[in-house]
Amino acid sequence: MSVSRRGFLQGLGVAPSARASAFIAARGHEEWVAEAQQQGRQGGGMRPNLPPGVQAIRISSNENPLGPGKAAIDAILGKFPEANRYPFNSTPLDADLEILIARLYGGKRENVVLGVGSQELLKNAVRVFMSPARHLVEASPTYGNCNQQAKLQAWPIKTAPVADGTLRTDLGALLPHVKGAGLVYLCNPNNPTATINSASEISDFVAEVRRASPTTAMLIDEAYCDYVTDPSFQTAMPLALSTPNVLVARTFSKAYGMAGVRIGYAVGEPATIRKMSAYRMPYNVNTFGVAAAVVSLKDPAHIKEESARNKGVREFTIKALADLGYKSTDSQTNFIFTDIGRTMTAAQFRDACAAKGVMVGRDFPPLEKQWARISLGTMDEMQKATEVFRSVLKPVTSTSSGKGR
Amino acid sequence: MALSRRQFVRTAGIGAGAALTSSVWGRGRENRVWSPFEAELQAVDRGVICIASNENPVGPGKKVLDSLRGLLEGGARPGRYSNQTAELTGAICAHFKVKPENVLLSEGSTEILRAATQVFTARTKPLVGTIPTYEECAGYAELIGNPVRGVKLSSEFKIDLDPFLAASKGAGLVFYCNPNNPTATYVGASATRDFLSKLHSASPETTVLVDEAYFDYVTDPDHETHVPIALENPRVIVARTFSKAYGMAGLRQGYAIGHPDTIKKMRPWVGSSGTGSLNVFGLAAATVAIAQDNTFTTNERNRNKAVRDMVTKWFSERGMKPTDCQANFMFVNIGTPAKAFREACRARGVMVARDFPPFEKTHARISLGTMEEMTKAVQVFGEVLAKKSTAAA
Repeated sequence: MSVSRRGFLQGLGVAPSARASAFIAARGHEEWVAEAQQQGRQGGGMRPNLPPGVQAIRISSNENPLGPGKAAIDAILGKFPEANRYPFNSTPLDADLEILIARLYGGKRENVVLGVGSQELLKNAVRVFMSPARHLVEASPTYGNCNQQAKLQAWPIKTAPVADGTLRTDLGALLPHVKGAGLVYLCNPNNPTATINSASEISDFVAEVRRASPTTAMLIDEAYCDYVTDPSFQTAMPLALSTPNVLVARTFSKAYGMAGVRIGYAVGEPATIRKMSAYRMPYNVNTFGVAAAVVSLKDPAHIKEESARNKGVREFTIKALADLGYKSTDSQTNFIFTDIGRTMTAAQFRDACAAKGVMVGRDFPPLEKQWARISLGTMDEMQKATEVFRSVLKPVTSTSSGKGR
Repeated sequence: MALSRRQFVRTAGIGAGAALTSSVWGRGRENRVWSPFEAELQAVDRGVICIASNENPVGPGKKVLDSLRGLLEGGARPGRYSNQTAELTGAICAHFKVKPENVLLSEGSTEILRAATQVFTARTKPLVGTIPTYEECAGYAELIGNPVRGVKLSSEFKIDLDPFLAASKGAGLVFYCNPNNPTATYVGASATRDFLSKLHSASPETTVLVDEAYFDYVTDPDHETHVPIALENPRVIVARTFSKAYGMAGLRQGYAIGHPDTIKKMRPWVGSSGTGSLNVFGLAAATVAIAQDNTFTTNERNRNKAVRDMVTKWFSERGMKPTDCQANFMFVNIGTPAKAFREACRARGVMVARDFPPFEKTHARISLGTMEEMTKAVQVFGEVLAKKSTAAA
């Protein structure tokens, strides 16, 4: 039996159209979980009607459409003779990756913990820092991993809506909830709203949380930081390295193009990391991924190019939608969040796009009646996708200038 | 004999007295009982014979690797979240003739061991395991604050079924590692069936996790998988991994097989409850691996047995008797502390395993490499152990 290419499909240009169900299963983890939870089932998920023979454009899961660079692929191929070795027996060691990460931020190995993607880290932060008496605080909407784990454990959650208009995480609205919290989860840039909070806002917030509730842990998820172009953003890594109970999580699933590789990490003070490490699965990261991650971290130019490529696509897509009269938030990520509410709901938009072979993001309650999340593919994919958006969304510009073009 | 949790923990080598978080860190790390922030890393240098971690020294085989290589060289990129869980689940279903609702994919078998511990133990429902055994369940139970009960092995270093049964009554989860790591011994299929049936009558609410990580290495004629029992009995789960005979420890792929109701309870606690949490390499490789005919595992079992026979003979001729080995590692009474033996071997380019309390003063666990590696390794053992007897004399 040979492996079908669907599971590993990216870049092959092979249409998986014949097997819509397998293809649908290819949506990102978050979509799948949300779907399964909504519908109370284990697999399968939704099945939009993809016409036979149509090659889908997958812009639903915030993946880098190009995957990792050649150096990473070569590193993976180079690891084949060591497929039989645990990550603590192969070269490079999982610990070598920890040390390399630590050095990037001026820390030491004891400042770093690896995860199977950042998912393991987010879930473990819930396990480590929360309890039935110590709740989760987060924006609504935001990335759902901590929320899902807290719900699974039946532990309490307090949320504050994102700011009206900008849809930025409203730190001031979160603050009243933090006293006595086990964990504050901040996604910056925020998924799904694509917006950032500035470096000074974050550091002020961290200081205020420390004052109001010194035992509360904070996890700042910077999954999309490599795509930020707003200069007011800065990584919170220095804060994590110098502040008790503050963690920054990163992943190789986004700009590094390795969603299928499953490597993430968190950085914090040694005492904080030790708590997280107790919950880390032994030999959690796969050796091919370790090798690819080490090589990728040594090639920052590749990430700069990826960010620049994404910025071009982002500007093009936001403008195409704006030309139709649909406004997006100030995206600092590899996806955009667009107000389509005057025409349709996210579900209607998703179904209409899927019927034309374009897969966009799932519902993001409580904004699902008005806002749609669209991941950014390649420029070529987005040129095709925006044609589909044009046919699906009615132009709503009040002036006539938009019409007839 | 039921030990207190604290005694069990000490005996199982997780470390008593130290802060919980730091003590638990090192569990299951096969190669090094490392302090978490050890300055000196022990990379496997080129030319070092690594027989410390019960890995298959040969790897997953050409068919699996060629398939992966073909994908990557053909331009496939691991940039998307994995969508191949259905394929691997299907291949496992075909292999065991089971249904998808009987199968739970996981990141190694670690996630299965943790999920079972999470779901089936409680403050009043302890985890029961042998002393020693693979520590993941005990370590995780302790981490989440649930009690652990340890039961000594028999004089043959096997699961001592009567006391084990007695201790298992009222347990939330019984961890039944067969063959047992680190002692390499195996309880025959008929005796295990009998145990499961007695336990089910005596303690119907107790779940048993049968860890069959080393299943493919067993040569005992009374050898069967417990998958059929798990399919029938919601209180029995079988854990499997691709890390051992299938030669993919680096790719982190495992699974459980069980009754649909049991699998359903565990699923939310495993990352693979959603697509996207498993790495594409492990999924793709495992799908090809398990779909091969039995020749692959038969060949690997035979290869391992030849090596095992050679090493067993070598030790026996020198008056050091290994336990009845049914795995790809041996547990040998070397009559000297494992630590000194390990360090002396390491200095000569051979890495053997960490300490396994309560036997660390006398026994060493030695994984089986290739015949070539083991031929060199026994020479090193000879030098190291001769030195010891000279020193003792």
